[in-house]
Amino acid sequence: MIDAVQDEIIKEFEGLEWFDKYELLISSAKQVETMAEEFRIEENSISGCQSKVWIRSYINDGKLHFEYDGDAMITKGIISLVLRVLNDRYPQEILDTDLYFIEAIGLKSNLSPARADGLASIIRRIKEIAEAEYSGI
Amino acid sequence: MIDVRKDFPILEKEVYGKRLVYLDSAATTQKPSCVINAISEFYRSGNSNIHRGVHYLSEVSSERYEKAREKVSDFIGARNSSEVVFTAGTTDSINQVACSLRPVLAGNEVLITGVEHHSNIVPWQMAGATLKAIQMDDDCNVLIDSMEITDRTKLVAINHASNVLGSVNDIKEITEIAKDHDVPVLVDAAQSVQHVPIDVKDVDCDFLAFSGHKMYAGTGVGVLYVSERFNDLLPARGGGGMVDKVTLEKTTYLDPPQRYEAGTPNIAGAISMGVAVDYVQNIGMDKIKEHEHEVYSYARERLLEMDGVTVYGNTDEMCGAISFNIEGVHHYDAGLIMDKMGIAVRTGHHCAQPLMRSLGIEGTVRASFALYSTKEDADMLVEGIEKVRVLHA
Repeated sequence: MIDAVQDEIIKEFEGLEWFDKYELLISSAKQVETMAEEFRIEENSISGCQSKVWIRSYINDGKLHFEYDGDAMITKGIISLVLRVLNDRYPQEILDTDLYFIEAIGLKSNLSPARADGLASIIRRIKEIAEAEYSGI
Repeated sequence: MIDVRKDFPILEKEVYGKRLVYLDSAATTQKPSCVINAISEFYRSGNSNIHRGVHYLSEVSSERYEKAREKVSDFIGARNSSEVVFTAGTTDSINQVACSLRPVLAGNEVLITGVEHHSNIVPWQMAGATLKAIQMDDDCNVLIDSMEITDRTKLVAINHASNVLGSVNDIKEITEIAKDHDVPVLVDAAQSVQHVPIDVKDVDCDFLAFSGHKMYAGTGVGVLYVSERFNDLLPARGGGGMVDKVTLEKTTYLDPPQRYEAGTPNIAGAISMGVAVDYVQNIGMDKIKEHEHEVYSYARERLLEMDGVTVYGNTDEMCGAISFNIEGVHHYDAGLIMDKMGIAVRTGHHCAQPLMRSLGIEGTVRASFALYSTKEDADMLVEGIEKVRVLHA
């Protein structure tokens, strides 16, 4: 199921030039609902990003739901893809997932420390939340 | 206009199949072949520690190291090469002064400007000083007339050119005012020494700090000019190479510059700096200034002509860096998109968070120039911005 979503994303990016990839990420970001101001606080922010990112989560029927926002569109677009894969999943599923699509669609450099650790920190945070929920059960 | 691009092998490089448009020279400059060769040559056939060996290699190495010091000394117009101390870079130079002056600075004030990078902020705070910034106008230009020196001001520490805005401070005038109050002056020349000629005798500052890697030399080497007036400054670091006599009871130090160079220095780096100085002096600092001014002004004008582009900073004398933002576009997105076009710019707060706060922004896109930059680079930058906008439309 999770892999099916990843494969779907890979297919969407297949054959695209970087210009089109970024365009797709920006348009994905534009569709993300803006997070309410009251949640865009330090507690929900992720450090290690060149841009600002906020993530909050809650449990619904045992599954984790994430809300997020960011001020840079490309970063926000990438998170939207990550959460297309991981949102509304059981914590165990989130922990078990290898996000192979990131490399496959040519965004691996965004994971590197050279990119100020941005995406890597975001994924780490998502997994930490899942870990906490998982051990809490 | 000068054409030196052929001297810089990296500029031939393609990035993502595009011509490299390197506009991040304020972060570090690219290196000419002569500098690259000197570093390689040192390790290939000259490597040896300095000031210790009686053997051939050590003598040659020491001689080249000291020759580099003389070249740097001549480059900044020092009275004596003993005023030139090799450090690890600008940050290290400033930290050493902060450490040496700690007894005086602790509990007192250091006067800075509001456009300093963190390297000229944090070391003073760590030394226990309170920072006071000279007032600025709306363009973040330092209002020298409003300089307020009190009994508690123990040092004036100012940048020559801003790493974000490119605006150049009148360091001579600032030094004059400080001298009237008997307060020493440190000039952070990290963003100016490669762009405009500097003569420390003329400026009459007490300390001048800059990095080798921002002026075409290797990384990990820098300079701290310490005026003869501070001959008996307490060294910030102790160890081999800086001592006269050591007993378990007491140690006496060598005279400057050795007293400030504990341990094995970055020998290859220092030698590369001597070569870099030769390189820029062969072209001529005046010529470099003229060429860069032409490219810089052209780039600035082109950016100013663009609707929805905000260019920060505005004063008569500017060099090196231009910071801007594109309306409705986050600087990080702009940097990522331009990167894919082969355009290397820096984005973010540029280690100058207080300045960002003054401007009321989170960060900027910064394009920065060097002697190999051309008007074509500036045209490519404009093209890059246009592409960023198309993607955000």
